[in-house]
Amino acid sequence: MQELGAAPGLPSGRVIIDGSRLGGVPSGQLDALGRPRRVACVSCHAQRSATSLPDAAGELREFHAGLTVRHGELHCSSCHDDERTHELRLASGEVLPGSEALQLCAQCHGPQTRDYRRGSHGGMRGYWDLSRGERRRNHCVDCHDPHEPAYRGGHPVHPPRDRFLSEPTHAPEAPHD
Amino acid sequence: MTKVNRRVALKVVGTTLGAGAFAQAMAPLREWARDLSLDEFLQRHYRELDKEEMERVLRRLEEETAAEYGRDVHIRDVRPMEDVQFGYALNLSVCIGCRRCAEACHEENNHDRATNNSYIRVLEMDQGSFDLEQGNATYDHEVPAPGKYYLPVQCQQCDNPPCVDVCPVQATWKESDGIVVVDYNWCIGCRYCEAACPYHARRFNWHKPELAPEDINPDQAYLSNRIRPAGVVEKCTFCLHRTREGRLPACLEACPTGARVFGNLLDPDSEIRWVLENKRVFVLKEELGTRPRFFYFFDE
Amino acid sequence: MGSSHAATYPRFLWQLFKLGFEGTWRFYAWMTVLTAVALVGANAWAHQVVEGMGLTGMSDHVSWGLYIANFTFGVGLAAGAVMMVIPAYLYDDHEMHSVVLIGEMLAIAAISLCLAFVLADLGRPDRFWHLLPGLGRFNWPISMLTWDVIVLNGYLLLNLHITGYLLYMRFLGRKPAKRWYLPFVFLSIFWAVSIHTVTAFLYSGLGGRPFWNSALLAPRFIASAFITGPAFVILLLQVVRRYSDFHIGDGPLRTLASVLRVTVLLNLFMLGSELFTAFYTGGAHATAAKYLFFGSHGKHGLVPWIWSAVAFNVASALLLHLPASRTSKLVLNVACALAFVGVWIEKGMGLIVPGFVPSTLHELVEYAPSLTEWRVTAGIWALCLMILTVSIKVALPVLSGRLGLQGTAPARSPAHPNPTRAIPPTEPAERSAAPVAE
Repeated sequence: MQELGAAPGLPSGRVIIDGSRLGGVPSGQLDALGRPRRVACVSCHAQRSATSLPDAAGELREFHAGLTVRHGELHCSSCHDDERTHELRLASGEVLPGSEALQLCAQCHGPQTRDYRRGSHGGMRGYWDLSRGERRRNHCVDCHDPHEPAYRGGHPVHPPRDRFLSEPTHAPEAPHD
Repeated sequence: MTKVNRRVALKVVGTTLGAGAFAQAMAPLREWARDLSLDEFLQRHYRELDKEEMERVLRRLEEETAAEYGRDVHIRDVRPMEDVQFGYALNLSVCIGCRRCAEACHEENNHDRATNNSYIRVLEMDQGSFDLEQGNATYDHEVPAPGKYYLPVQCQQCDNPPCVDVCPVQATWKESDGIVVVDYNWCIGCRYCEAACPYHARRFNWHKPELAPEDINPDQAYLSNRIRPAGVVEKCTFCLHRTREGRLPACLEACPTGARVFGNLLDPDSEIRWVLENKRVFVLKEELGTRPRFFYFFDE
Repeated sequence: MGSSHAATYPRFLWQLFKLGFEGTWRFYAWMTVLTAVALVGANAWAHQVVEGMGLTGMSDHVSWGLYIANFTFGVGLAAGAVMMVIPAYLYDDHEMHSVVLIGEMLAIAAISLCLAFVLADLGRPDRFWHLLPGLGRFNWPISMLTWDVIVLNGYLLLNLHITGYLLYMRFLGRKPAKRWYLPFVFLSIFWAVSIHTVTAFLYSGLGGRPFWNSALLAPRFIASAFITGPAFVILLLQVVRRYSDFHIGDGPLRTLASVLRVTVLLNLFMLGSELFTAFYTGGAHATAAKYLFFGSHGKHGLVPWIWSAVAFNVASALLLHLPASRTSKLVLNVACALAFVGVWIEKGMGLIVPGFVPSTLHELVEYAPSLTEWRVTAGIWALCLMILTVSIKVALPVLSGRLGLQGTAPARSPAHPNPTRAIPPTEPAERSAAPVAE
């Protein structure tokens, strides 16, 4: 959790960024609520450090085996630090703690970062009026898996069931003739 | 003489039979009239109620909800905030048509469960077209579908609202913070507003809403999400029971992509102001001159 | 004089009231049938009030249906009755003068029908008092519906006053004072046009409904009103002539048929103009017309209705322009019945419903009236016919001079220029012993 850094013109008050997915990878198991259980990087990397980053996802072993990466032309080392593999690295070479991932995303996704900072990108809950209460915001990685960031859709909920409405149309094509 | 008497007798019998048949035909109304309390029947318009009267009305409504729906609820009269004009914007570039906003509205606003009623209707549209006729509200497949974009429509809280103009009894009006509300206890159910609204934003209670006690949201306001009586019109109020206390509307909180931006138009630092000043914003059916408070925009 | 009215006016009302319960077996049979239908309607309405408007076929997409369709049609019928007032008073048509009260009573019955349909359409009829100026909050002058409340009730009062006053004077055997009725008669002519204009404005003022949002709507309404009014009165006068001894010449029928010959064509012309604009331009404004006439997206609910209406209207126009319509009552009557039904469909399923299909978000949800709606509708029409039957029945003996303050009144002097002067003066005296409707 972190506070969104103050920027000119931004509302004062508490805006809390969720980011519960930062600093961990899915373990392949589900927790009691049926959500994927995540394992913090430090669980392993505090004791052992990887020799060096692989060139492609296919070379990943053990815990990371099977990870798919579909994120433009990026390589592992584009974002992960070669030596401290549980930490991130900016294009400038500066090492970044995992909790600061927003800055890492921002170096390529300028317009999205701008929109995010201005409150027009990314889900939120809480107060519009920050003088009355706090606001919780999703982190980039809450919706976009950094390794496969394309937003995953799903089946829509809550179909209309008004009086005399025709049956829902199932196929994406030909809702009308 | 006997002929005249027979005629009179026939008339008396005929009239009695007729009156009896009429009473029988109207019999269903007796039960209905019993349920209708005198206080409810004589209740004045929202804007004519003083503080004490309002308090009595709210407690009566809470008692009625407890009796009819088996749930203790708290109904408040939430007034507009000073120096606040609400505005809402929706980013069509990121909306994926998941309808979670419609679902959240349904739950927040105590809608009838059987009809899946919601103040939000999401249209699946063809990319490259703004022809509503090609839209489809009943899509039921994985979203976002290729070649489609999604257009959620709800009350536009127009500054020149045709629905308010047509109401014969002033049961609907625009509040000082821009929200168009309905006094559900004053509406006569003529549905002229439903005919006048260009955005399909109004709903009529064709039946008494059905809700299980555990489904009821007990945090309610007189002008917004209290359970509506049968036979009256209702509409989106930007969740005024939340937003007038600084909270975000339920549909915004439910949006997984952050397509929705809500805030105070009078605050130059607000997110909504930034969107209006920096994005390519448009309103629906601008040519009708309704001047919506609900804006749509695309990312570049 | 005031004190004498206090005594004679209740007597006048009492005599009329008593007369309303007298009649032949035909009268009783007719009234019994109407009462039965009205009771079925009343029962259906009671269920609708208790269980909710969900018993109707309406939805949030098509939020007005059969009730508002009949309301609109009824306003036209009431306004159309003025087509007897204009010849009688503006052109001093003597024969028309003798039957003009029948037209005004039709207006009273038709307005009652309209008010009943509005009440039937309300989701909360118990809150009707919210509409009363002074008691409720009357959104005048912004809401067109408040204008409609004013003009409809005003028209009802005007016609009640005119018919009531003339009948009462006839009952007293006195010459009606022009200042007590003529200004109201002329006012009622303007008022008749206003009721249907305002009713058209209810719909044409809605920018979100392109099918209604046309300046031609009010003229179309007036033209169709001048079809239904005369068509109904032509049939009605023949019924009155057949089942009463009240003298009705062929003159009024000829006059009304002449009006009809013009208005059926005018109505078709305006319908054609609307359709040309819609179909030649195409686009969003034509979608409702396309659905109405040809169906759209596989839905065709209104197609049979509108083509029936067009067929009826065209057939009646053709029949009315056959020479036989002047000589054969059958041809004229069939033409009138076709025109009446044709306009009824055109204004209801052909105008009110397609205004909602497609909806404002272009969803295509169809509408068909439910059994409850048909029952309530039949009941209200039965009620309207009861009002019409009884009012004409009690008025005729007064008009013909048989019922007056002195019991069997002497024949009126033909020198009196009163509304019934065309009645042959000897007739009522000769037949005064006969029961009213024999």
